[in-house]
Amino acid sequence: MLITQLKSKETIESLAKGKTFIVNCHGCKEVYFAEHEAEELQKELSETNDITQIVTTDYICHPDNLALQLKKHMDKIKDADTVIVFSCGVGIQTVAKYLDDKRVYSGCDTFPLPGFQGVTPLQVDCAQCGECYLNYTGGICPITSCSKSLVNGQCGGAKDGMCEVDKEMECGWERIYRKLEKLNKLDTLKYEPKVRNYWHPDAEQTDAE
Amino acid sequence: MRLTEFFDRGEFVVTAEVGPPKGFHIEHLVEEANEFLKGRVHAVNVTDNQSSVMRLGSLATCKVLKDNGLNTIFQVTCRDRNRIALQSDILSAALLGIDNLLLLTGDHTTLGDHPQAKPVFDLDSVSLTHAVKRMEEGFDIAGNAIDGEFPKFSKGAVVSPCSDSVDAQLAKMEQKVKAGVEYFQTQGVYEPEKFIKFMDKAKQFGVPVQLGIIIPKNVGMVRYMNANVAGVHVPDDMIEELKADKEKTKAGITGVEISARIIKECKDYCQGVHIMALGWESKIPAILDQAGL
Amino acid sequence: MENYTKFKLKRKEELTPFLEDKDNLFILACNKCFKEFEIGDEPECSNLEQLAKEQGKTVVGSAKIDFLCNETLTSKLLQSIVPEEAEDIFVISCGLGIQTVAEQLENPVYAASDTISVDGQHGMALTTTLCDACGQCYLNLTGGICPIVDCAKSLLNGQCGGAKDGKCEVDKNKDCAWEKIYNKMESLGRLDELLAQQVEVRDYSKINHKFINQYVTSVRESRFEGYYGGVHPSEKKEFSENIDLVSFPEPRTVVIPLSQHAGAPADLIVEVGQTVKVGQKLAEANGFVSSPIHSSVSGTVVAVEPRLHPIQGIKTMAVVIQSDGENSIHESVKPAKDLNDITRDEIIELIREKGIVGMGGAGFPTSVKLKAPQKVHTVLLNGCECEPMLTADHKLMTTYPEEIIFGMKTLIKGSGAEKGVIVIEDNKHDAIEILEAKTADIPNIEVAVVKTKYPQGAEKMLVKRMLGVEIPSGGFPTDVGALVANVSTAKAVSDAMQTGMPLVERIVSVTGERIKNPGNYLVKNGTSVKDIIEHCGGVKGDDTTIKLGGPMMGFEVRDLNVPVIKSTNGVIAVETKVSEAVECIKCGRCVDVCPMELKPLYYTKYAPAENWEGMKEQNVMDCIECGSCSYICSSKIPIVDRIKIGKKAIREGK
Repeated sequence: MLITQLKSKETIESLAKGKTFIVNCHGCKEVYFAEHEAEELQKELSETNDITQIVTTDYICHPDNLALQLKKHMDKIKDADTVIVFSCGVGIQTVAKYLDDKRVYSGCDTFPLPGFQGVTPLQVDCAQCGECYLNYTGGICPITSCSKSLVNGQCGGAKDGMCEVDKEMECGWERIYRKLEKLNKLDTLKYEPKVRNYWHPDAEQTDAE
Repeated sequence: MRLTEFFDRGEFVVTAEVGPPKGFHIEHLVEEANEFLKGRVHAVNVTDNQSSVMRLGSLATCKVLKDNGLNTIFQVTCRDRNRIALQSDILSAALLGIDNLLLLTGDHTTLGDHPQAKPVFDLDSVSLTHAVKRMEEGFDIAGNAIDGEFPKFSKGAVVSPCSDSVDAQLAKMEQKVKAGVEYFQTQGVYEPEKFIKFMDKAKQFGVPVQLGIIIPKNVGMVRYMNANVAGVHVPDDMIEELKADKEKTKAGITGVEISARIIKECKDYCQGVHIMALGWESKIPAILDQAGL
Repeated sequence: MENYTKFKLKRKEELTPFLEDKDNLFILACNKCFKEFEIGDEPECSNLEQLAKEQGKTVVGSAKIDFLCNETLTSKLLQSIVPEEAEDIFVISCGLGIQTVAEQLENPVYAASDTISVDGQHGMALTTTLCDACGQCYLNLTGGICPIVDCAKSLLNGQCGGAKDGKCEVDKNKDCAWEKIYNKMESLGRLDELLAQQVEVRDYSKINHKFINQYVTSVRESRFEGYYGGVHPSEKKEFSENIDLVSFPEPRTVVIPLSQHAGAPADLIVEVGQTVKVGQKLAEANGFVSSPIHSSVSGTVVAVEPRLHPIQGIKTMAVVIQSDGENSIHESVKPAKDLNDITRDEIIELIREKGIVGMGGAGFPTSVKLKAPQKVHTVLLNGCECEPMLTADHKLMTTYPEEIIFGMKTLIKGSGAEKGVIVIEDNKHDAIEILEAKTADIPNIEVAVVKTKYPQGAEKMLVKRMLGVEIPSGGFPTDVGALVANVSTAKAVSDAMQTGMPLVERIVSVTGERIKNPGNYLVKNGTSVKDIIEHCGGVKGDDTTIKLGGPMMGFEVRDLNVPVIKSTNGVIAVETKVSEAVECIKCGRCVDVCPMELKPLYYTKYAPAENWEGMKEQNVMDCIECGSCSYICSSKIPIVDRIKIGKKAIREGK
């Protein structure tokens, strides 16, 4: 799931060259979008730069919907020197593809949140590694719950059960150990050293059959 | 010379750690090693970008120390190199005649002086050990044959006996042994009773363990370690003892005394000692003397 | 449509040895997401079952679940479907689903599937455009082509030189991203920018646990605030929230429909040509669930004829009255007994006589709620006004706090409750302040401030949040001991008690970005919407939609010759939304936002197929038509419209 953060005001100001058309995407607002900050920033920008139109819509990552939503603004877009998009990277790329001959800029940086679907992020995450380790780890993912994504046990860097990288994050491997202990399955940990496979030539083939 | 040979002979194996500088002039380091370590330790550990702070390479430093007549341990972390670079560097070590490895996962990049860096962790301490063992058997980790003579090392690893999650530590230790670790150096120990209890459980693996000693320099340092360093806990009475060491002239004496005392208390339960002096290499001879080594 | 199916069953060679020491298996399979929505089974579940059986294992059961990673719904479901004899749980799902189940169950939970990587995150449409969420968007430097996703090495400073004939060294089917970037920049005339670009070094510390965790925590808090689901549409209250309440000019003619409430239309008791006064009864309640209708003006009844109804969209019987402009009050309008002396039954009768119905939308007769046989302990006065744009209740609360409190006291007595709570969303500071001050000395009435989330004001959500209990399917708040009424209704009750005036006028917000002069008006029942809009200066732009009510639940009106009725809380003029419904891609968002914990995506399939039985099975009758699903739908499917079709068919016994 993707969320965005606004780029700095200076950056956005420097991007808004000439007549500027702004698109905001609220499609994933329920997950997170800096709605009020963006509004405020665009208001300030209108005072210093030539903002010809601000359009707020949703799901611009869908090319057909994007075309539909921009349709009545195409005159202004044609006339604009710059288009700034406030959306995730998918939305910006979709706009850039659609307005092929325009300077399309991004007003945001995109970050990942755990969870594929819906609008409620999860506390568990899946890195889609293609070789699910959950069977060895009591259902706690070592790839996403260990900050080093270790697959052969803890690094020893945890202090009081907390990760060396972030004291608010529990050591994933200590959690795994406790979970297996609770399940009375500590023997599960006695596996041959695991080496991750980053090569998935068939990853994009799906099991359509 | 391989550390395992000393262990096999039943010697109480003494090692000490040095950290390469941020720069390529290591005359001072070599000088100190010659003065304080030569003849007193079985081998010198050379750290690998310790604490994720970029420094001179461990392998090159090992080579220089070796040329100066010191036996060395090449520390290898998984933080900065993927499996290709790691195996390549290990072959390089074999070429340079380095006999000992200490294989670690490594601190996270965000803890050091390049927090923006990409953390690699392609392998970890266990899979790296496995990779070295495979190379010793004539194959790289992808299963390709190694040409010519196969490399041979003493493969070491670390363990935290005073960790707050000691059972999980033991489980990991077992994994490391199974992967091919032949000796362990421990995290700094300040609680001998915990260490002895740990050794009681660890001896089942039949692999020698060197007691880790971090020389306690002053109250500020141990308080910092208590708050931030994994697996390290300095008890209150030891902090009080250090407080008494206020007078500048006597600075360090208490740390030496404490270190020697811990070694004496633990000596019978382990197969060696590993001293992390963190710049106080000059104190190592005194500690060894007082500990009767 | 790209198929991003993210997991597949582990290979037989891996599963077979793994199954060896397991037995009494229970298999859970996720129905997958982000794929074309088809009703039918995914094959993996039976494949695994067969594999286990071949090995002589007992499979004690299996279940196929929608959106397994939806922890709220999954955890409820798991309680009832996993049999006691189940030992080892096998899950076929992506890693999220497996971990969600592992967190919920005490049994060992195993992964029977591997989750497959797509090289980045896709959007809410299944296209090939991907984003790696690097936290440092480079698209501004590359003409909108992503170097992180599109370059196999994620290079930032130009191509590696490995491309041959413009194709990537890693995949001959892929164009070299940096050659694409070069060409794009050249065609945009931006080559100089590309060449002047500084050396870029990626900052991997931007994506860190602390940062992500902070967002996850805050998003989850707002998602789970008070009740499951709901949405946070842009509030847009600023058009009218700072405009004082004024009386709308006296209408010359009013059109008063006989059906302004849930239940049977009222029975006419006046004739054409008859003179009537303000507050005079025009029609009698016709049955238990019904309500009388009163005149809002003094004048002459000029017609009784079918007129376009503002909500029903068809012509229904209405009384047309020509006002004489005098506003003479009818003799029946006189204060009721003192609150201390009036009995509970007298209150209920008064509220019925004065035509008071729920003014928050549905128009359910208030007296019927008061007569419920269940013991009511709490009266919840709904001052949430969670609909975007509307400010009618807000203005009411700041203008008539005394009346609301008096109405509340009357409702407490009328329902036999012990206490009353006035619930207000935290975006109405002044209303909160006033009502808190005015209720400070009243021991059994309090003000509760709740965080804004739509549809807070729906009575089921309000009860769940305030009392922490769920109203059973098909039930009413009184089933759990609560009486829910709108603050406007309380004001109407107060008027009935203190002046004897029946419900003949109400506050209407006239707002929206397309109305020229927004405002809040005290409007007489039967006033024409057309007159209101004209009075407010008309609308801006020709792509304007007029709705009665708010943007979420309001009814679109095309013919403005419709009257304001008892439940008309707003007249809004908004930009017409253009959208084209496309196929459902099972993004799961409708399930995530449905406050009734339904699975609206099924209705999008079942309604066009006239599968009413299927809709019933998916509990369509529990839907409160709040519109959260239509609002969030990434495929722009008008879900609520389809739900309404289904409900109507079911009500008609189809």
